Order: sequence, then C-alpha cells, then structure tokens
Amino acid sequence: MLGSLPSFARLESELSKLPGIGRKTAARLAFHLLRTSEQDVEALAAALLEMRRNVHFCQCCFHIAEEELCQICSNPARETQSLCVVEEPQDLLAIERSHSYSGLYHVLHGALSPLDGIGPEDLKIPQLLQRLDQEPISEIILATNFTVEGEATALYLGQICKDRGLQVTRLAHGIPSGSDLEYIDAGTVQQAVAGRREFS
Amino acid sequence: MVHLPQRCEALVLRLTSYGESDVIVTLFTADHGLQKGFAKSARKSRKRFGAALEPFTKAVFQWKKGRGSFWLLQDSELISSHLGLRSDLHHLALASYGVELVSLLLEEGEPHQIIYELLCSFLDYLEQGGDGLIARLLFELRLIYLLGYMPHLLHCSECLKIFTNEPVRFDAQRGGSLCLDCAGSTGISVDLGTIGSLARSLKVTYRQFDGFLFGPKTLQQAGLILNQVLQQVLPREPKSLKFLSQL
Repeated sequence: MLGSLPSFARLESELSKLPGIGRKTAARLAFHLLRTSEQDVEALAAALLEMRRNVHFCQCCFHIAEEELCQICSNPARETQSLCVVEEPQDLLAIERSHSYSGLYHVLHGALSPLDGIGPEDLKIPQLLQRLDQEPISEIILATNFTVEGEATALYLGQICKDRGLQVTRLAHGIPSGSDLEYIDAGTVQQAVAGRREFS
Repeated sequence: MVHLPQRCEALVLRLTSYGESDVIVTLFTADHGLQKGFAKSARKSRKRFGAALEPFTKAVFQWKKGRGSFWLLQDSELISSHLGLRSDLHHLALASYGVELVSLLLEEGEPHQIIYELLCSFLDYLEQGGDGLIARLLFELRLIYLLGYMPHLLHCSECLKIFTNEPVRFDAQRGGSLCLDCAGSTGISVDLGTIGSLARSLKVTYRQFDGFLFGPKTLQQAGLILNQVLQQVLPREPKSLKFLSQL
C-alpha cells in the first residue's frame, strides 16, 4: 500500500525501530509529521542530529554528557568520598530529582543477568574498580534496581567493595521489590536514600 | 468468542520489557507447561502484579486467552518470591541455570507436573541455603531422567555387559558407559562408584535434595558426565552457565 510512497514508508520504518514504537504508532507519528510545518520538522531533524553528535558518555562516570566530563563529575561542590552506583542514566536522574544526595555516581549501563549471560565484563564494572583504585572514595551506595538482576549486581559489587575495606550501603527498603527505580516518585527515592543501611 | 478468566499456579521463569511499560513473562505451570504471558502496564502500575512478575516467583495468576498462544495476565496472588535466593549470588546464578535448562529443554504448552515440582523443590532448596553443587547435580540428573535422555549407566551401552569392578569410560555420544573393550580411546574415565552414586540418587524422590553427600571426586566426575549428556540434548549452551563460570 505504501509502495508508491517510498519517503513515507522509509520514515515509518525508521520510527518503528524506536523502543516502544510499533508499526501503528510509527504510522500515526508519520502522519502527524506530515501535517506539521516544514519548519518544525526541520527543527526536529536538527535536534535529533545535534543530540546524536554532541551527547556522549562521561569519561569518568558514564552518565550522559556534552563535554568530556558530565556536569556532576566536573562540579567541585560534589562530595568525592561517596559513590552511588546505578544501572542506567535514568536512575541517576531519578536520584538527582530527589535532591537527597550530593556525592558522585557511576553508571553501569545494565545489570548482571545470569539468564542473559551478562557478566561483570559486559558492564562498566572494570571502570568502576579502576575508579576505586584512583579516587578517595570511602563509601559505595548500591542503588541498583530491586529486581533479581539489580540484586545480583549489588551482591557482586558489595563483596568486591567490602574486600577493599570500603563502607557499603544499599538503598533502604521502601522501594517495592521488582520495580524499576525510574518509575518511583522522588519522595520515595528520597526516603530510600535517607534510610540506606549497611549491606550485609 | 469470549474467553473466561482462568486461574493457575505458575513459576515465573523470566520477563522481558515490552514497549513503554508492558511486560512479557515466561511462565512455567504444572498443567499447561511453558506459557508466555502478557502483562499490560505492569512496569508502571504495581496494583495487579506487585513483585509477582520477578523471576523465581511462585504465584497464582488469573489469565485470559489472548491473541495467538499468549495469555493475557490480569491479576496475581503471590505465593513465594524465593527472596532468600537474593542473598547469595552463586545460588541466584544456579537458580537461573535451572530455570534456563527447563526453558531450553521443554516445548511450550506441554504439561509437565513432575518437572514443575522438581523445579519448585530445587528453588526451595537453594533458597534455604542448600549445597549448590549437590543441588545442581541432582537437578541435572533428574531432569535428564524425567525427559527420557538418561544414558546407560551400570552396563556397557554397546555390549550390555554389567559392570562389577572394572574400569569404566563414559561417552554420551555412544549412549553412556562403556567397557574398556568397547570404548577404545573414546570417552572419559570414570569410577564405577560415581556411576553407582548417580544410579542410586535416582531411586530417591525427585523432590528431595536434603540428605545427600557426595565426595569431591564424585561431584567432579558426575559433573563431567551430566555435562556431556546435556551438550547432546540442549539446542545451545545455557547463557547462565557462562555467568556461573565467571563467579
């Protein structure tokens, strides 16, 4: 049906590659863009390209950044003694929204997953260990999700950090088991950070 | 056609995020075997499922028949989260291995009451802090046996000679145990004691994991035997095995 409209079909096909976008939603978005002014479509295309060209991962913590270091790593006001380990940049943003933590972060970009065969080498764990060797960090806060994968990651990192003599804490309960940190409201996250406890 | 809601107990084997907030869950039930369930908006709203969609969780699910073979999950009632598994990384990895073996070896939709009970007992034993090596050996052995992949153990798989006290070799590709005359240079050398231990273990109820004692040599040789058999029947190497080897 769209064979005679190759440009439309191409856009629909590209949009359907995005996460959470199926064929129908892609077509709906394509029709919406068709009705949008050329100026707005150009602005969208430019924004997409600009983001892709300028945004990369911070060389230190692997959060998203437009410079070599992200805003957190380059901020001298941040506490440098504590390091909060999260799975994804969205989790970091969730904690930042709660205004409950002023230390540094490390983004793993995933979690250990026995079922998917994702081991320590597949995440930013070697880089984390390197940071622990080089930076004056005394406390590690394990803020991985309360899922099986998140707990497996916390167990693994907790043991390694304890072996290095670091204080290890885990976000307090209050975040329901099986949930994604991304979807928890800032108040709950704040409570969880405030009520963190020794990881055993 | 209107499908009425049904209820059944199931173990959650794994879940995959789908779209913005939906989840596809692989369930294992006694009566319906492996099934794929679709839990709409499960990542956003915790009202209907809470923590019931986490791997290793046992729960009663209410479901309706959906499009194709998918179940549309509507509600859940938690029985056990097997939370104890989350305090030991090795046990967690072993539980993942058990779940993956079942996913790889069973066909979707075929009921397997005994294997369901075997997997539940395996997870319960690990959660209670049971011996991981013994749990793995017994689980692999019983799974192989229950699925009909058991190799010849106490006699030569080619000449059928019953072993008494002689050296034995094992080659899963040739059917199992082999006497030295038949084996030639193939297979691995195993003690008759190891083979006897495996055969005797099968006489105990498949739900029991407590009360077994195996020496290090038996565990090592039995591990090699079961690994050979599994390599023959698995469609691919389990990913959790790679993870286990990294611990």
